[in-house]
Amino acid sequence: MAGTGMRQSVVGPYSTLTPAAVLPLDHLTTSPRSSRSHLAPEDAFNAASPPRRSGGFDHSSNNNNNNMKSKFGSRSRSRRRKRNWKKILWVKQSYPDNYTDQTTFLDSLQRNPRLQPYEFWPLVADTTVIVQQVCSVTIFVVCFVGIFTERVSPVAVVGWGSFATFVGWAVWDWWVGQEGEDEVLQRQNSHRSRGAWQPRQDGGSANSTTAPTTPSAASSVTNLGSTERTTSQGNLIAMRSQHGGSVTSLHSNVSHTSRLLDPQDGLRHRPSSPLRRGRATLRLSTIKSASLIYFTILGLSPILKSLTRSTSPDSIWAMSFLLLAINIFFFDYSGGVGVKFPASLSTNAALMASTVLASRLPSTGQVFSLTLFSIEVFGLFPVFRRYARHRSWRYHVTLTVLLTVGAGGGMGLILGEGEMDGLLGVLVRAFIVIVAMGASSWWLIGLQKYKNAMNGPWDQARPIIISRRQWEYD
Amino acid sequence: MPRLTYNIAMVSDFFFPQPGGVESHIYQLATKLVDRGHKVVVITHAYADRKGIRYLTNGIKVYHVPFAIIYRSATFPTVFSFFPVFRNIMIREQIDIVHGHASLSSLCHEALLHGRTMGLRTVFTDHSLFGFADAASILTNKLLKFILSDVDHVICVSHTSKENTVLRAALDPVMVSVIPNAVVSENFRPRKYPPEPPAPNNGFGNATPAVHHLGPNDPVVIVVISRLFYNKGTDLLTASIPRILENHPNTRFIIAGSGPKSIDLEQMIEQNVLQDKVEMLGSVRHEQVRDVMIRGHIYLHPSLTEAFGTVLVEAASCGLYVVCTAVGGIPEVLPGHMTVFAKPEEDDLVVATGKAISALRANKVRTEKFHDQVKAMYSWDNIAKRTERVYKGIMGDIPEADFYGYDVGNTAAWNGESHSGVRSFALIDRLKRYYGCGVWAGKLFCLCAVIDYLLFVFCEWVFPRDHIDIAADWPRKIYHSDDDD
Repeated sequence: MAGTGMRQSVVGPYSTLTPAAVLPLDHLTTSPRSSRSHLAPEDAFNAASPPRRSGGFDHSSNNNNNNMKSKFGSRSRSRRRKRNWKKILWVKQSYPDNYTDQTTFLDSLQRNPRLQPYEFWPLVADTTVIVQQVCSVTIFVVCFVGIFTERVSPVAVVGWGSFATFVGWAVWDWWVGQEGEDEVLQRQNSHRSRGAWQPRQDGGSANSTTAPTTPSAASSVTNLGSTERTTSQGNLIAMRSQHGGSVTSLHSNVSHTSRLLDPQDGLRHRPSSPLRRGRATLRLSTIKSASLIYFTILGLSPILKSLTRSTSPDSIWAMSFLLLAINIFFFDYSGGVGVKFPASLSTNAALMASTVLASRLPSTGQVFSLTLFSIEVFGLFPVFRRYARHRSWRYHVTLTVLLTVGAGGGMGLILGEGEMDGLLGVLVRAFIVIVAMGASSWWLIGLQKYKNAMNGPWDQARPIIISRRQWEYD
Repeated sequence: MPRLTYNIAMVSDFFFPQPGGVESHIYQLATKLVDRGHKVVVITHAYADRKGIRYLTNGIKVYHVPFAIIYRSATFPTVFSFFPVFRNIMIREQIDIVHGHASLSSLCHEALLHGRTMGLRTVFTDHSLFGFADAASILTNKLLKFILSDVDHVICVSHTSKENTVLRAALDPVMVSVIPNAVVSENFRPRKYPPEPPAPNNGFGNATPAVHHLGPNDPVVIVVISRLFYNKGTDLLTASIPRILENHPNTRFIIAGSGPKSIDLEQMIEQNVLQDKVEMLGSVRHEQVRDVMIRGHIYLHPSLTEAFGTVLVEAASCGLYVVCTAVGGIPEVLPGHMTVFAKPEEDDLVVATGKAISALRANKVRTEKFHDQVKAMYSWDNIAKRTERVYKGIMGDIPEADFYGYDVGNTAAWNGESHSGVRSFALIDRLKRYYGCGVWAGKLFCLCAVIDYLLFVFCEWVFPRDHIDIAADWPRKIYHSDDDD
């Protein structure tokens, strides 16, 4: 029976629409409808709707086709065939108000218009960012447990952590430097080509020299630096964001420079000179803020130590578990390298978790170590990871493997006794990670068949606004 | 044969004294239905000190039921608490048809549910469009599916709205009628229109209004009247105004309306130093809209979504050339010679406005004829007549084959159930329909329907029908000229 065929074919995995969805109506209309890509009115009922007749106008089976056609046509078709129905309201049409035109009804419905079917391996590759974050959190927890049970010396944790952070920072700085130079060159090229249709820029400014622009760029850098320093006097979170912010300050610096430079077509020599100076200032300010963080935490540690003395340990464990879960769930996995405050909720939750956990520790030194380590893990490490992924896929994979091994080994060591347990932990962890990556990707692909986005003229239009930039920045 | 008249209850959260499109729709429709000999009561919630019963012009009785308001004058959805009062009103007024308005009004949804439980015919009018993506829409759509799975007929204001509603509530399209809004064209006359229709004794002396040409140095005035919200496209407007003024210096803007986006507009005016070209009036009342409109030549409507766009009809009725975005139901509303359509993009809007300005400058648009044309297109009399047809259809006064457009007897034999247009009142049939709404929702809805029914039985027992006084009616108007088509 045609009606059942129609129902089954309503939702296909990635289908726009199968021709079967419109087949049952073919015998009614003269125009060939099999080429249509939209729904018939009957498709508005989904399969879950209550049992009723199979469609508005197509209850005939094929054997009494002619008979039904005449009956059907007695109202809506033949008697009023003189003028075609139009989808307009301003003329009185010779059709009843509840007339539904079979050929145009739901013409503009689009189903899953922007659907991009997932593929397995890219999806698995994308899960690595989540694995990285989960492993970072695990490593942090392992370090806490190590310090708490006094198996690991806090100095060792913070020492290695800081060493790794410093190396990471050096690499990151190098990358950013390279990137900046590339970007300046690239922007200059693109701006020069764009200058052709920008009438404002090819005018009077061509004669001006480099001299006034370069210092202004440099001063803007120092301005940025100084404002950051003043804002970073406050709490720890601001400290962290300062570091994240330095990325963007560099970026804005780059764009600033290029924007100032681009009108001068002749200016091609030494585009990176203000940049270099800016980076030196930036490094200086980074070192300054790092030392500031260091001493602030040192000063705050005695206070943090007694922060939650009156709270029972159970509440602390539960709370820190919750906060770390928030960190994992709200982390900005999609963020590119230039995000200003990536997932501030996530970072704040993690830092609060670390503060709460640190307050369980008995000595000031331990508190200091854990807090500093948490800033390194939750504040700075994501910046580095993002850059590593941005730079090269190989770095990213290496980092993921290292983190998995580290987290697994750590888990094994704190749960078990000897070194063999560590190895076992690594193996178990790796197994779980691989299975989870595969299974979750597979599951997500499986879920795609339930995707049924319906778009049409009733959706709110997305306005395309171009010149906003022009009046905002001028 | 005497004309069939009905007792109709219009139910909506949105009614006067609050201004708005739905409000005036209900009022105008009710007035015209009373003119056609029906009895109409309006049920809404209490506004400030406006409680109890009020009478409006034409003998429309308004019940202001005291309920707590939670958001934008919509009442808190309590599902059942409205039932005793509602039942009382229905019995007092001997209501045959419950007609609910606006899909965001919980009072309307409750009334439709209780109305079905009491064995009344129900009609629902949908005034808005909803997407399918965001959480609020999903929730509203589920609720709508619940209510509409047992409603007798649905009225939508445009064909786009019909498609939307059919999809949202999984309805049979023949159950959905498209009846647009209308305007009171006497309230929207152009500037130079003869103020009063000529006296009947001098024949049809309704001279065509004077053609007024736009001089080469006269500024073209563009009017924008809308609430300044994101979904009204104020961002597009903000971006386009400087460019339009740059391309056409002899142009002025008058912007009426208020909202969160007005600050952007003001900023744009200051940054581009357009104070002498763009005038912002703030919010204007509905009766002043005409006075603002007749100051202009072009009406610009950059909305991002619109089910019908009554304001476009009003503008055209005032003799304005309309520039609007082709979204939602807007393309269905006005004919091409009155409008210039644009895509919801800044560039296209600028181009379309430029086109409209140069067409006006060339005096190619006969705007002075718009009023009479619009008057012929949209009138509340016509709307009331079409609504009456819906009432007749659901009351069974029009043969079903006529109303639904196919052979019903055959269908009934086909699957042993009366077809979806004529909804049986039997509880088991209602439960069947509710059950199909979803895996979990279906059961929940069934539960609601059962509780509602028990509540009904309880009310019948505690407050028996014969203890409720029947309200005295106004004398019915006698409607003579019923020219069918």
